[in-house]
Amino acid sequence: MTPGPLAYFLVAAFGIGAVVSGWLVFRTDSMLRAAYWLMVSFVAVGAMLVVLDAQFLGLILILMMSGEMTIMAIFMIMFMMNPAGLNPMTMVHQHRTSIIAGVGSFLVLAWVGVVAEFPNRPAPLEDPTIALGEELLGRSMLVFESAGVALLAVMIGAIALAAKQGRFGDAFEGSEEPDMDVASGDRT
Amino acid sequence: MTALGILVQVMALLVVGAYIFVVADRLMVGTETGVRAALVYPVRRLSFLLLQPVTTTERPDFEAWILAPSLLFGLAAVGAVPIPLDAPSAGGDIPAGLVLFGAAMLIVLVAVYIFGWAPNSALPMIGGYRFAAMVLSVGIPFSLVVLTTAIPAESLSVGMIVEAQSNLWFVIEQPLGLPIYLVTAAAIAFWGPFDLPEGSDLAGGIAAEASGPRLATWRFARAALMVTLALMGQAVFLGGYLGPVLPGWLWTVIKTLILLVILASAGRTLARMRVQRFVWFGWVILLPLALVDVFLSGWIAL
Repeated sequence: MTPGPLAYFLVAAFGIGAVVSGWLVFRTDSMLRAAYWLMVSFVAVGAMLVVLDAQFLGLILILMMSGEMTIMAIFMIMFMMNPAGLNPMTMVHQHRTSIIAGVGSFLVLAWVGVVAEFPNRPAPLEDPTIALGEELLGRSMLVFESAGVALLAVMIGAIALAAKQGRFGDAFEGSEEPDMDVASGDRT
Repeated sequence: MTALGILVQVMALLVVGAYIFVVADRLMVGTETGVRAALVYPVRRLSFLLLQPVTTTERPDFEAWILAPSLLFGLAAVGAVPIPLDAPSAGGDIPAGLVLFGAAMLIVLVAVYIFGWAPNSALPMIGGYRFAAMVLSVGIPFSLVVLTTAIPAESLSVGMIVEAQSNLWFVIEQPLGLPIYLVTAAAIAFWGPFDLPEGSDLAGGIAAEASGPRLATWRFARAALMVTLALMGQAVFLGGYLGPVLPGWLWTVIKTLILLVILASAGRTLARMRVQRFVWFGWVILLPLALVDVFLSGWIAL
């Protein structure tokens, strides 16, 4: 499929949308809105990928982000000293540090984008599944295997932390109401 | 088919389907109301809600509260687009249609969570958190059983998956698929035994503060979501438009109605499951079963 003028327009529109909604993350005073503006930004990036004919990649990005942003919103609300996070609060802190970090990372990324030589390889003519398998278990094996082992360790750790029964006994111990049977006299 | 044609078709499908679903649900409630009362119930309820004054809460997130019901309906519509109704359909050749459906169904979590959050009120918010816990537990089994149907078809296009069932429907070839799909689909639509996000113990949960047109849109969007889920269920497990004698679109309608009636009766007959137990059920029972489904289907396909 050769990209028509509509494709260029759509990619530009979604790109601008991604940047604007990313900016809105920090302009809002609600944690829910901040989380979901970030999701809108990711959805716009996914839509760009769909227009660029990487449908599966774009849709998977959107699919993953919907769950992830909700988890992020829950964790944000959990760690704030603000029951349920319903009260408005500012989304920007440590102004000087964040300005320096933001400008710095923008300059580095822009420099990479301008200077780096991007590969101009056409898509492999052979079966993409075979090409992917050769990439995963050939040239890029070290990268993927180290990432895989790291992710596995994280998953085992998360399950160990979340499991109901662990080394320190039942997770509900102490969180249940004490026995209300006062008459018998022994409070176990 | 043009984009406008697909839009009209999906809208008509969801409106008619939602009406039938609500009527079927009313008929489950009891016989004393009568068939005629059930047939006019959706119209009566809708006109009542549209004329009802809208109540509001103290400092709600107004825009999000307006957005959430429309978003829920939009997701139901997007999920219905890749499902072919009849053999040669323009909607059927979306190459990654199954992933589009999956993405739309998981964003339902966002719509419901926003709807629970927006009124700035405790009970709807608890309902939103309940839903988040439920969907995060069944999201993976749901996606797995839907995507497993793509293994024998060797395609993510729903039309190709229907075609791959010309010999044997996937409900038989992948016996774990449809039961897991129905359970997780009911949870994603917060319907039936899994409607505790809108439970009466929370005075209506996520919809506790909603009223008027907002509640009407919300209820309609949920019914449309059920229709989309039933449509996809029959397409990937019950052979979609395939069937003898009758025209293809009629088979689609019949199979969708069967799934809708199963879901409606489950909602009226099965006992509710506590959210904590449901989370356990999702991770410990459904997820391993879904993985078994994937491995078995992959093994058969190889």
